[in-house]
Amino acid sequence: MSTSTGRDGTWLSQRMPTRDDLPGLLVVPNIAWYGLFMAFPLVYLVFLSFTDANGAEDLLRGTYTFIGFDNYAGLLSDRQFWNSFLVTWLFVFTSLALKIILGVSLAMLLTHQWVRGKRYMRALAIIPLGLPPIFMITLWRSIFSGARFGVANEVYITIAGLVVENPTPIGWFANRWLAFMTYVLTEVWMAYPFVLIIVVSALQGVDKELHDAAKVDGAGFFNRFYHVTLPQIKRPVWFASILTAAASFQQFLIPLIFNDGGPARQNELILFYGYREAFQAPPNMGEGAAIMVIALIFIGMFMWLNVKKGRLAEGINN
Amino acid sequence: MSIAQSLRDDAVHAARWPIRVGQQTRRTLGGLKDGEIGITDIAPPVVGTLFAILVLLIILFPVYWMIAAAFAAGTGAASLYEEGFFASPTEWSLEAFEWVIYESAFVFDSYPQGEAGLLDYLYAFSGSYLANSLQIVIPTVIFSMVLIVPAAYAFSRHDFAGRTPLLYGYVLLTQVGSGITVAALIAIYVVFNWLGFTNSHLAIAALYAAGALPFNTWLLKTFMDSIPRSYEEAAIMDGAPRRTIFREIILPLSKPGLAAVLIFVFLSGWNEFILAQILLGADKYPLSVGLYLLLEEYGTPWGQFAAFSMLYALPVVLIYFFAQRYVESGLSFGGMDG
Repeated sequence: MSTSTGRDGTWLSQRMPTRDDLPGLLVVPNIAWYGLFMAFPLVYLVFLSFTDANGAEDLLRGTYTFIGFDNYAGLLSDRQFWNSFLVTWLFVFTSLALKIILGVSLAMLLTHQWVRGKRYMRALAIIPLGLPPIFMITLWRSIFSGARFGVANEVYITIAGLVVENPTPIGWFANRWLAFMTYVLTEVWMAYPFVLIIVVSALQGVDKELHDAAKVDGAGFFNRFYHVTLPQIKRPVWFASILTAAASFQQFLIPLIFNDGGPARQNELILFYGYREAFQAPPNMGEGAAIMVIALIFIGMFMWLNVKKGRLAEGINN
Repeated sequence: MSIAQSLRDDAVHAARWPIRVGQQTRRTLGGLKDGEIGITDIAPPVVGTLFAILVLLIILFPVYWMIAAAFAAGTGAASLYEEGFFASPTEWSLEAFEWVIYESAFVFDSYPQGEAGLLDYLYAFSGSYLANSLQIVIPTVIFSMVLIVPAAYAFSRHDFAGRTPLLYGYVLLTQVGSGITVAALIAIYVVFNWLGFTNSHLAIAALYAAGALPFNTWLLKTFMDSIPRSYEEAAIMDGAPRRTIFREIILPLSKPGLAAVLIFVFLSGWNEFILAQILLGADKYPLSVGLYLLLEEYGTPWGQFAAFSMLYALPVVLIYFFAQRYVESGLSFGGMDG
């Protein structure tokens, strides 16, 4: 290969597309479409985060000024931002832990030799995967209705009735931590099927002979789980964890539909917080954009982690 | 084997399960009577199975509750304010579903009264949530397929300048779903207002298609990668042009992949809520937003709401039920064999 960068133009001609690159044209509309409708707004979002624009009119008329990192600096000293940021991570970790526990134990149950009709039960168990998110979230909002005979209240009253006399119904969305708990339960219910599918397929790969050998050696249930099953499902569970944690981090509809991230803005997950800042009256699009950019940085970290850990990128060279 | 054929086999197999269970039960009972099988042999499977059923019943109770509410309109089981979740079958009626069709804006924005011709029905349909949803979903599917199929083919079968970095970018983007769209919401709102794209079904379909591109292009590419190259090499030997190879070999062999992509693209248009609510006007809202508005409307009876949302979810459920193998292959790709 010539290393010449001289006037003869070899440097340039080596980089010019050749006939071999023509099939690349098939990709151009795809990339251009993504660039126009997704990538460009994202770049524009970063630009917005450096301005003091309030409403959309400011941006359309150009009545805003460039204020550098002021939005970001303001956020770092804003208690509301830190509250939202920490609540989001708490939400990610609590729901992730519960999803893994539920998903793995359900997978072990539905692959166990003592259970008959496993295939059909597994098909039933993943039903939530096949429902539109807005359907599930409105359903759970009704379950946690504050009405006397809502499902959650009936269950609570039946159980609490054993201990105290005439328990009163609970306003699930009116208390900060109760509301947070309803978010977590809903998220777990929506996402456990994903963990279930991945763990079931990993469990089916677990060596049966290894299990039997451990049994013969007198290993108990927990010992066998810890030393035989766990090492073999660890990697897929890791992969599922990163993916589903990333999805929890981006949860937006639950706070929106349940109680607007309330009570008193205490449960605003980060994307919802950015949305509220940008669109609620008085709107503050510059600050909202800065919040979204911060959220995007974390989403980007999840993306990178996942491709690294999931070895997805190996497929590129196929 | 064609897709329709394998679907039919699945359905037949599923429909026959009561027969299989019956046969097995009879065999077990017979064995028990003859003393061939001891009680200690069947106790663990019975206990295990009953326990699994109990767990499933608890987890899926919300789904049962919604179905019961929809079919028990007007009774206690269809109300948040009256006692009882368990409607007796004698109370079941289709009242709530009739309400969805005749009174709500699901299928007709206002049901034609008196002597109405076909045109009146069509006109009433055109203003409904369902019509709006279709006007979004159909262009979303068309845009996406037109953009995805050639790109996936080129990524899978050709090498060109910039292929590796572009693919790497797409792989990164497959790993996050709607979050990016929500994050970009502010900018999208401003840009769309600026371009005058608000309140347009086509514009929002273009947006959904864009959001679905990285994941589905990558998915279809991995499907195409699994088609053996020797098929094409044989065709090239015979002097077939590239276009023929694509049409006669690649496309037919990637049918399962195309089915999966079609399903995911359809769902991305059908399920989306927040962009539609922000970018469209009230007269153009799709079903997802209609569902939300119904919930916000104080005093919508729970049974009617349940019927509405069940009809909204129905196509999605059917897709998952009948096309599970394609959906699963898409959902789990990359995660299964790490």
